[in-house]
Amino acid sequence: MSWTTVVGLEIHAQMATQTKMFCACRRGSSASANESICPVCVGWPGALPVLQSEAIRCAIRAALCLHCDIQEFSRFDRKNYFYPDLPKGYQISQFYRPYALGGGIPFEREDGSPAELPLVRIHMEEDAGKSVHESDGTSRIDLNRCSSPLLEIVSEPLTMTGKEAASCVRSVRDLLRWVEVCDGDMEKGNLRCDVNVSVMPEGSNEYGTRTELKNLNSFVSIERSVLVESARQIEVLTNGGEIRQETRLWDQDREITESMRGKEDSPDYRYFPEPDLPVVQIRSEDIEEQRAALPEMPEVRLSRWLNDYGYPQLETVPLMARRANGDYLEEMIKEGADPGSASNWFRGEILRHLNDRSEKIEDFPVKAKDLAALIVAVKEDRFSGGRAKSLLQEALDPEVSLESLIEAAGSQEQDTDALAEWVDQVIAENPDAIAKIRDGDMKPMGFLMGQIMKLSSGQAHPKKVQELIRARLS
Amino acid sequence: MGESSGGGVLPTPESTSIEVMAHLKAGKCTTVELIGHYLRVLETTGRDLGAAVEVHSDSALAAAQESDARRASGKPLGKLEGVPFTAKMNISTAEGTTDAASGMLRGFKANEDSTAVARLRAEGAILVGKSNCDEFAMGASNESSHHGVVHNPWDRDRVPGGSSGGAAALAGSFGWAFHLGSDTGGSIRQPAAFCGATGLKPTWGRVSRRGLVAFGSSLDQIGPLTRDARDAQLVLSVMEGGDPLDATSQDFDSVKTPTETSAETISMKRIGLVSEGLTDAIDPEIRQRALEVTEQLKNMGHEVVEVSLSTLSKANACYQVIATAEASSNLARFDGIHTGQRVESEDLEELYSKSRRQGFGAEVRRRIMLGTFVLSSGYIDAYYGKAQQVRHEIRQEILSALDTVDSLMMPVSPFAPFKIGERVSDPLALYACDILTVTANLAGVPAVAIPCGFDSGGLPIGLQWMGKHGDDHRLLDLATSLQDQDDAWRGLPPGGSQ
Repeated sequence: MSWTTVVGLEIHAQMATQTKMFCACRRGSSASANESICPVCVGWPGALPVLQSEAIRCAIRAALCLHCDIQEFSRFDRKNYFYPDLPKGYQISQFYRPYALGGGIPFEREDGSPAELPLVRIHMEEDAGKSVHESDGTSRIDLNRCSSPLLEIVSEPLTMTGKEAASCVRSVRDLLRWVEVCDGDMEKGNLRCDVNVSVMPEGSNEYGTRTELKNLNSFVSIERSVLVESARQIEVLTNGGEIRQETRLWDQDREITESMRGKEDSPDYRYFPEPDLPVVQIRSEDIEEQRAALPEMPEVRLSRWLNDYGYPQLETVPLMARRANGDYLEEMIKEGADPGSASNWFRGEILRHLNDRSEKIEDFPVKAKDLAALIVAVKEDRFSGGRAKSLLQEALDPEVSLESLIEAAGSQEQDTDALAEWVDQVIAENPDAIAKIRDGDMKPMGFLMGQIMKLSSGQAHPKKVQELIRARLS
Repeated sequence: MGESSGGGVLPTPESTSIEVMAHLKAGKCTTVELIGHYLRVLETTGRDLGAAVEVHSDSALAAAQESDARRASGKPLGKLEGVPFTAKMNISTAEGTTDAASGMLRGFKANEDSTAVARLRAEGAILVGKSNCDEFAMGASNESSHHGVVHNPWDRDRVPGGSSGGAAALAGSFGWAFHLGSDTGGSIRQPAAFCGATGLKPTWGRVSRRGLVAFGSSLDQIGPLTRDARDAQLVLSVMEGGDPLDATSQDFDSVKTPTETSAETISMKRIGLVSEGLTDAIDPEIRQRALEVTEQLKNMGHEVVEVSLSTLSKANACYQVIATAEASSNLARFDGIHTGQRVESEDLEELYSKSRRQGFGAEVRRRIMLGTFVLSSGYIDAYYGKAQQVRHEIRQEILSALDTVDSLMMPVSPFAPFKIGERVSDPLALYACDILTVTANLAGVPAVAIPCGFDSGGLPIGLQWMGKHGDDHRLLDLATSLQDQDDAWRGLPPGGSQ
């Protein structure tokens, strides 16, 4: 029998707000353990949560880019459970009345065709703290993360492969990064994902019993765990067994899923409406304000690049990877660089520099405007490409500004009289090389060029020099 | 009252806070003399009754000195300048402990004033100590405090009511000060009625809950226990209003100063006497007293009509479900890990269960278990869900009744203060104390309880009036006009001030 794998996703994204969700403590603080906390986020007796509006604005942007139906009225509920990193004994979440319903995640099927994973809902909730278990058996609790704002994005089940499931999560990550809702850092746990997996005979329209996979902290683990778990389920079913509805942990090193707890052991969260928070009202003005503040969305930008700039699809991949990359590129073009050169410089010089240092474009020390000026200078033949690259190299020193370098360099010497002096001197000093070239061996040409550039302290325009040498030797 | 040690003349013991301010303003004694004497009252009567569990002498005297200095130098004075007040043990204060009368929070220091306390202090009121209450404000007799029982100043063998029993015993036994309590199902009004004091449960959201150790968040309100309604009105006007640190708090209009009140300005002309509050279940002497006050109101020119509240009989069951459900969640934070006494154990599960078993008293544990049960999968719809529906019905019925009358009148307690220990082993008998008070909390409306005479045993009888959301000041105007009829409420219990 042939089997079909069905996957549903629950994605947790920490919103990139300045503060936590219900107090003014800094979110994502790098402070030492338990330094970024206050009575509210540690559940001090008498302290009350107050929803910070920035979290709502972020949540609206997320719902807009996933095309959800934003609810005018939503509400917070308490999810009750005991755990040491949950100091109040409950998590403030949205269970009965989430703020966004429907929508979908655009993704690419393995065959390259576009598809969409429909969403059930998105709700807001607060994060828990972190338990750190030491090897000596003691545990420590850090509440800095406690009460950071999260979005939980819950999808419908859909027939998918592991690779496609990973592609969905990647798509969500890219979109949320694009609209600055979440930094998408999976290593830090700022984007986490639980995956529901079931299998059914091909052609069936009745879903099988699902298991929920936890501990998936990379795209690879999502892809592999779906593959491994669906294979496990198929084997159980093929051998006449039954799938138990349960939560399973993914072991990345051993590439297996292990039972964590069955449905019957799943905690009873005793959800009820949070009496400390009023109903959340999101008015259409609030939505429109966020819609207006949305950047150009990726699909719009991509089609504009393909059509207006004539970029080949493949070339756009690194440029589209982060919105800030494209923003920098657009800034260069706005400042006069031609789209082709701007793309070449970005994918070449800039990305090489950034990749070497594992940095982002925001860290790049040269302003887009200055780099555009350099590109224009090359286009106008004031500098050679090589000279321009060495100027850029110099400008990577944060103390040096490319603008003043370009100004100081003026333009490379093109005056034939001045060039002739350097050329004649080098020809006179290197008779052996000249003899070889006259014999048809062009190898020493590079050496001569180097000598002339050295003599001119880089001022000589290489193309003109080359023309002069040829003229002298012919 | 005789001379103070400093040579000034102190106000009479039954004086209200407003009268005390006038006394200070007239220069008859200094604030230091006044506060000094009140601290001695707390140390003697307050401690004897079990009502005062902490006396903040040093900080109170320092504040009194500052107040005298302000007055002497002609600096602006606060609306409550020099008036002593206490806070219930579940209301956070910068000084002292805030243990909610629970062994779980033994020695817990909040280190910060609740918003209500901070606002009162900013207007010159002086915190003199903390009052006893039932553990986590759960109770109607003040017998579940880990600080011990509180005695009713009118009969020391009897309970003062609860949970704000300490505040009520203080307000009932001596004047001058006002006392902050909290009311989740009657915890201000019922002890006020038992001790001959005035008590207000404000509209839910009128007074910030920030700094109040939560019991049933959708029901809890901080309110004053005072000698009279004028004091309550002044205290409310200082502490009310939206607080950025309590998202459920808000401003209500009609803030006015008590001096504007007179019989002519009373806007609550039509009064509804709730017939379900006068059934056989209510002590006949209390019923009789309610009817007499009704006549008095008519004589004052009010129209009194009988109103039926059919939901009144469902209110207590509804309350028990919602209050315990919220309490089970609110008290989860006392887990021995972050907050609350820890009992060291081999594993986490054991740490939780031992810490919570040892830290909480029997009544609190009972309510946590009840609340956990009514929210549990398989039961939530039948209990919590149903209770929410009933709560909605109650609210609707109250609001539609208040469309036809300005206020709804009922006794506060179905019976007189009972003997200490009499009901302690029978939770249902204790819960019966709440049958007439929980409706105001479930509907979120304000309710004021004032002393209205005594029964044949010499025990105080209290009656209450409920109004629409935000009608707190209009209710207090009505209460003031009644209290202006005679001075009966001014009397203090014999020996109460010793």
